[in-house]
Amino acid sequence: MTLLVVHSRLGKHRFEVAKGLSVREALDITALRVRAACGGTGACGACVIHLVGGEVSAPTVAEYMKLGSDERAAGARLACQVRLKGDTEIRLDRPAPPSPWKSIPLENLKPLTHGLPELRAHTLGVAIDLGTTQIRVSLLDRRSGRRIATRRGPNPQGVFGADILNRLEAARANPAHAAELAKLVRTAILRAVRDILARDIGEVKAMLAEIGQVFIVGNTAMLALLGGRGADTLLDPANWQGAIDCRPHDVTPWRAKGALPCAELVMPDPVAGFVGSDLVADLLATGLTEGPAGALLLDIGTNTEIALWDGATLHVTSVAGGPAFEGSGIRHGMAAEPGAIDSVCSVENHYRWRTIGGGAPQGFCGSGLVDAIALLLADGRLKPSGRFASPPGPDGYPLDPNHPNTAITGPDIDAFQRAKAATAAAMSQLLIQAGMTWRELRRLCVCGAFGRTLHLGHAQAIGLLPAVHPGLIELHAEAALAGCEQALLSPGGVQCFDALTAKTKTINLSLLPGYEDRYIEHLRLRPIALTPTTGQRP
Amino acid sequence: MLDRFIKAYNEAVFETDKEAAFTAVNTALAEGIPPEDIVFKIVIPAVEEMMSNITKDPDANLAQHFMTAQIAAEVTEKMLEKFEHPPEIIGRVVIGTAHGDLHSLGKRIVMGCLKALMVEATDLGVNVPAEKFVDEAIARDAQVIAMSAMMVHTATGEDGACKVRQILKERGLEQRFKLIVGGAPYRYDTELYQAVGADSWAPDGVNAARAIINLIQQVKHRDSAQDI
Repeated sequence: MTLLVVHSRLGKHRFEVAKGLSVREALDITALRVRAACGGTGACGACVIHLVGGEVSAPTVAEYMKLGSDERAAGARLACQVRLKGDTEIRLDRPAPPSPWKSIPLENLKPLTHGLPELRAHTLGVAIDLGTTQIRVSLLDRRSGRRIATRRGPNPQGVFGADILNRLEAARANPAHAAELAKLVRTAILRAVRDILARDIGEVKAMLAEIGQVFIVGNTAMLALLGGRGADTLLDPANWQGAIDCRPHDVTPWRAKGALPCAELVMPDPVAGFVGSDLVADLLATGLTEGPAGALLLDIGTNTEIALWDGATLHVTSVAGGPAFEGSGIRHGMAAEPGAIDSVCSVENHYRWRTIGGGAPQGFCGSGLVDAIALLLADGRLKPSGRFASPPGPDGYPLDPNHPNTAITGPDIDAFQRAKAATAAAMSQLLIQAGMTWRELRRLCVCGAFGRTLHLGHAQAIGLLPAVHPGLIELHAEAALAGCEQALLSPGGVQCFDALTAKTKTINLSLLPGYEDRYIEHLRLRPIALTPTTGQRP
Repeated sequence: MLDRFIKAYNEAVFETDKEAAFTAVNTALAEGIPPEDIVFKIVIPAVEEMMSNITKDPDANLAQHFMTAQIAAEVTEKMLEKFEHPPEIIGRVVIGTAHGDLHSLGKRIVMGCLKALMVEATDLGVNVPAEKFVDEAIARDAQVIAMSAMMVHTATGEDGACKVRQILKERGLEQRFKLIVGGAPYRYDTELYQAVGADSWAPDGVNAARAIINLIQQVKHRDSAQDI
């Protein structure tokens, strides 16, 4: 990692970035983006910055063509051409106008392996992972199998409530709200696509017509709200076990002028009322059913979805993992964004934190919270019950007394305990349904909120993940988006989804009497017992 | 001697350590403490203390409530098997989540506490139709119908508490059964319970047990007044 310091009208920003990235790539994942109108080839010349000092690559031909000698003498460079070799300081006089859309860090994306060379027209495709809090978008050239760019940004339906139920309730109560909720997401997706076209191709209108397919996965509620129907159906548990058709009846707004006139809208059916197509995308991206029996997949988020492959059947379920893992409902919790503490370690009785992007800590994201709780527990400051050894008061226990945002409160621990207990109990219940035990696990794929920064030892010590051999655990970032991309680039397309969905057996945990016992068993902060003791009583 | 076990049990409950709680209870049994004393002198006072602590501590930890209620219920259940004579039941309640609602954990705490406090609680499960609440209350000769609803639409919906009240009214059963509701929506709007036709509500699972016992006593008191 190397340090990039950016001076702009907004002040001085410090970013920790991977060596070898261009300045544009480094800034595209932040809120401080350079102007751009090409795919980073140096063709548009819009991304001018001034080098103040540091270790960077030499000017390229493109820079000689776009920048005059006097400009170059004054330190002007093209952000897409300058690659960071060491700590660097730049001036950004004309940043791009503020936008909620940022690029997804390259290291989180899976490489694409093939394209669809026989495709002749409308060769662009858009993959979308429609989440409750975040929307992720990837624009692909389907013919060559090349990823043009990605974006992630907030789901604007948040104005109707962070919680899924609030949004469903709003849609159910008022058709105008249902239409508004659908429109909010559609508009957000279109804005993200336009942002990519403008910044990474340099041509919006003509390129919109080149988009031949939009492939959307998400949790069932998000798909129903996007389709503008189904909120009623979803709020009634009688409908939760089966597939629910969420596709919009009317695709005219998608096809409108300035939207996606030539795009086919593909939305594979969610598995059930509480298991979305995002889980199927995860399965596709991880190849869960292609590997050995005893493969578990966790997609951790506000609604945690779980699948267990036993060699013949995919047992699937979901639990209210609780927003705790996504930082919501936690006093100083936040999404895995710049400023979030994503890891904590203990050095000589002091806690040392690390933030995404390297700046001052603004709060904890899920992986940082796991570390903090595991360390507090190991040091005896926190007890397995979830109580602090000595109550820290309403402001919580600050890991770093210099930063009040590093404090963890009693209610934070409580929310976390309930989320991890639900997750662990659901995994254990799926194993029971399949007639298997923890010891038979051969693969555990962890997707979703924790990304790739989850500390396995910590997650195991507090009972979030089973204490199986760490070599069996895989951390996947952006798996749902990857699965969606994979479907866009496969001749079968939506059939890949249908084939996996056909292997699923949906389990509604709230209808299983033993689940609650398991949930309560897993509330304590302690490792999961690999040999089941449930049912045994003294 | 009892004090030693009370201390060990209370510590175990405070630490939500079920294994330690059972160790304390089993040691007490082994040393000759009768199961009746374990329930009435150790377990019930511990539950009552938890109730009063919750009211004092606004940041009470829900995870700890689940675990302590579970310990109380399991210990009581185990001890009841060993009672020489079945204990006197304070009253009976039927409990379930409202139609359309699958959030069952709130009712779990209530049941755990009720069990430990010698109230016979019949679990009707989740997503329970209004008719079933009433039919089961009659069948079990209960005094109280307890409904949990965690979502606004199940708390206020036509098939929820409103409908139970309507059925009680239509069938002339309003004197016989009291209706209590609980769940997040009632906490946000503390007058909502009246709007849906309930007699009472409680802000959390532990206090719900206390409120249910109050209602049982109201019904029984009225019954005995009528007998005279």
